[in-house]
Amino acid sequence: MNNAKIWLVVKPTVGIPLFLSAVAISSFAVHVAVITAAPNVLYYGPDRPESAEVDTTSLDPAESVAKAAKVAGAPLGLGEGAEVLITMPDGTTARAILQAPTTVVSMRPPDTLLLEH
Amino acid sequence: MADPDKVWPTGLTLAEAEEVHSYIIDGTRVFGAIALLAHILVAVSTPWLG
Repeated sequence: MNNAKIWLVVKPTVGIPLFLSAVAISSFAVHVAVITAAPNVLYYGPDRPESAEVDTTSLDPAESVAKAAKVAGAPLGLGEGAEVLITMPDGTTARAILQAPTTVVSMRPPDTLLLEH
Repeated sequence: MADPDKVWPTGLTLAEAEEVHSYIIDGTRVFGAIALLAHILVAVSTPWLG
């Protein structure tokens, strides 16, 4: 391969800025696309606040199903007894029941979760 | 192309073109290495790859 010959027919003063601009624009577009598809990616990393404090060992599946059914007809705001799916710091998921005083466990950006208490 | 001192339409000789191209290739490789490192860090710290 002798790709260097491109500079015999394309001026480097034109081709190099064009190449660098293409890299910058495509990189920016990929960043925007990833953040748009999964905004919570911004919340990972060493300084992320550790908000998963629910003790999952005491979850009773029957109880959680009953409570989920109870709030099935509730308005959009999440209240006590609502069953939520949380993502632990290591990436595993668990179902949790919200209890008063409100313990918020969520890996979503704060503005997507209504806090009533 | 048998004449090594021929000046092409862009004003470069073959040797100059190859020199410029070597810089571009080196720069691209450095960029690629940094991008690879960044992707490894993201893969470790997010659920992207489990």
